[in-house]
Amino acid sequence: MLEYAWLIPVFPFVAFMLIALMPKRTLWWEDGAVYAIGGALGAMGLSFLVVWDVVMGNTLTDGSQRFEWLVVGDFSLTFGIWIDQLSAVMLVVVSVVGTLVVFYSGGYMHGEGETRRRYYAEIMLFISVMYGLVIADNYLLMFIFWELVGLCSYLLIGFWYERPSAASAAKRAFIVTRVGDIMFMAGIIILFKYVGSLDFAELFSGAGVAAVPSDMMILATALIFGGAIGKSAQFPLHEWLPDAMEGPTTVSALIHAATMVKAGVYLTARSYPLLVQAPESLLFVATIGGITALIAATAALAQNDIKRVLAYSTISQLGYMTLGLGAGGYLVIHADSAAGYSAATFHLMNHAFFKALLFLCAGSVIHAVGTNDMRQMGGLGKVMKITSLTMLIGSLAIAGMPPLSGFWSKDEVLAAVWHAGEFDPMFTLLWLMGIATAFLTAFYMFRMWFMTFAGEPRSDYHAHESPKLMTVPLMILAGLAVVSGFALFIGDGFKAFMEGSIDGLLAGAGHESVLDVAVEIFTDPLTYLTLALAIMGIVLAWKMYYVPGFDRSVFAKGFNGKLQKALENRWYISKFYDDFAVKVVYAASLVADAFDRYVIDGIVNGFAYLGGNMGQVLRRLQNGNVQRYTGLIVVGICLLLILVLYVLPWGGW
Amino acid sequence: MIPIEYWLVFSSLLFVIGAYGVLTRRNAIVVLMCIEIMLNAANINLVMFSSYHSTLHTTVDSTGQVFALFSIAIAAAEVAVGLAIILSVYRRYQTVDVDKINILRW
Repeated sequence: MLEYAWLIPVFPFVAFMLIALMPKRTLWWEDGAVYAIGGALGAMGLSFLVVWDVVMGNTLTDGSQRFEWLVVGDFSLTFGIWIDQLSAVMLVVVSVVGTLVVFYSGGYMHGEGETRRRYYAEIMLFISVMYGLVIADNYLLMFIFWELVGLCSYLLIGFWYERPSAASAAKRAFIVTRVGDIMFMAGIIILFKYVGSLDFAELFSGAGVAAVPSDMMILATALIFGGAIGKSAQFPLHEWLPDAMEGPTTVSALIHAATMVKAGVYLTARSYPLLVQAPESLLFVATIGGITALIAATAALAQNDIKRVLAYSTISQLGYMTLGLGAGGYLVIHADSAAGYSAATFHLMNHAFFKALLFLCAGSVIHAVGTNDMRQMGGLGKVMKITSLTMLIGSLAIAGMPPLSGFWSKDEVLAAVWHAGEFDPMFTLLWLMGIATAFLTAFYMFRMWFMTFAGEPRSDYHAHESPKLMTVPLMILAGLAVVSGFALFIGDGFKAFMEGSIDGLLAGAGHESVLDVAVEIFTDPLTYLTLALAIMGIVLAWKMYYVPGFDRSVFAKGFNGKLQKALENRWYISKFYDDFAVKVVYAASLVADAFDRYVIDGIVNGFAYLGGNMGQVLRRLQNGNVQRYTGLIVVGICLLLILVLYVLPWGGW
Repeated sequence: MIPIEYWLVFSSLLFVIGAYGVLTRRNAIVVLMCIEIMLNAANINLVMFSSYHSTLHTTVDSTGQVFALFSIAIAAAEVAVGLAIILSVYRRYQTVDVDKINILRW
């Protein structure tokens, strides 16, 4: 089955071609949604077969059938597919969320008219290239798909391009992630220089790793993680993600919560065999992750746009994943344990489900109320029962309430970071940031939930529950948010499953049994600490935003209101980019412009001017006197004769 | 048999005289006549080399002679055209002074 995995991206791609190219009247229902659903379902079916094969213990990491893409001299570039446990997790995420989002779009995009065709075409293209990214077995192939998902993200953020804010948000997302992409490219160029190949099979082999000097390995892995910083919206390149909320909510759910932003985490996890050779890079990864988690969680506290809260929450959770991966690398090096690695990938999967759920719920709310501003909502729980209930499940999951999925994975991540603290004290600090984030996460999620669904309506809206086409995907995702955490205990458990993907790095120590994992979770006092913090966050949110009569201005007055202002302005990071970075770039472009205008153009125009002036002088030679011309001809012939008869033989030619 | 050097010197002189005339004379008709002289210098060369070739190889090869005849015929046609041009120039400008006929310039 695995060798047919290359067919997975083909289904959505065919759907994309059909939607984009078929005549309008053949698009049927919802301007192409039928093709989109067909493509998504086909890919999902095949993905599930492939994933089943992986669960059965088969992987395809070497010797897949390869096709030749480029031949330069005696170097040939071949592409193939790479299916292991990590790819399988991503396949599950992309196929489930992708398919549900396509169904949901049928309801959500109903009012968009003919532009739906563009929407479905772009969504299908995105799903197709996302599958391609996941199954690529070569950094270059991965990079190509990496850029393509960036393109789709750009197109879909700017879906309502007639709105200036959407157009500029799209550009911003594209340009900011491009900074990371350049770093990614630089990283793979360094690897290519030393190893001479970009195939995972060769790079991750002992010989491939040994070919790179250790300082270059640090640089290369840090640069590759730079790609993840851009794509996964890590500090300091995270500000594009909240702006990306200008796109339709379905796009935010699919691309900017569940799949594309996970590509950076996926890349980092994929590069593990290289990363564990460079502990400095791992520390860098973990530090960036920790800072991102905390900064984004604090920024989410003061947002009033429901989607922006979720966007910051996404950034924060992505920070958790990178933090887990960084700590997991230390555990691989020092303790031969895949705990951090499996925890981060586990959180990746769980987060994809509950964050897609939360975004789709937010979409349902926006669909009903017609605004993103939570200050104008309130009391929606009475009219939108399914949405409010599913969103409650999602919020509980992300807050880390047992037995929902977020509890298991977040706890695993934090436990891994805590254990990594034994090998580097930095991780203890990062762990503190992690549990602070856990508290903040619970608080802002329930602040959002209470502001949206509880209390009395704060504006004059006429909300109604969304159609079945939208609520059924919500219910499915809510179900997944409840049960996906139990993957930790199915069969040999998720941990043992993920160990398969990096078993070459582990010294072959036997993995923990499912029972051990469970016992470890429930006997660890840290679990209860995190849980207590999360409950405190929820209670605080309940007190502040549900119980009437609470004076919230107490907090606003802290630090003379400066803190509140800083949070509302998202720590001024965006402002910094606008005020400082953009000005620097603008000044640099002014210099470049002047250089182009005066130096480059000066040279070109100078030559043109020289030609013109010489012409002015030389044309005087053409005076119309035939005898002058004849004389010149005779002189010329005489000169040529002298040249041929005397000068050239004398020179030895 | 006159040695070939004599002929060569003769035709060169003829050619140079013609060229000198072309470059210096003002009257277009005289320029045309000088061109004819240059042409005849070439004709003499053709005939002379043909004859020299025949004596050298003791064969009769008259290609050069025939070529000279062609050349003379073409020269006649050329004179007709040249005189016609000079005639129409004279009708236009009332002069055949080549120094004065110089409007085709910058």
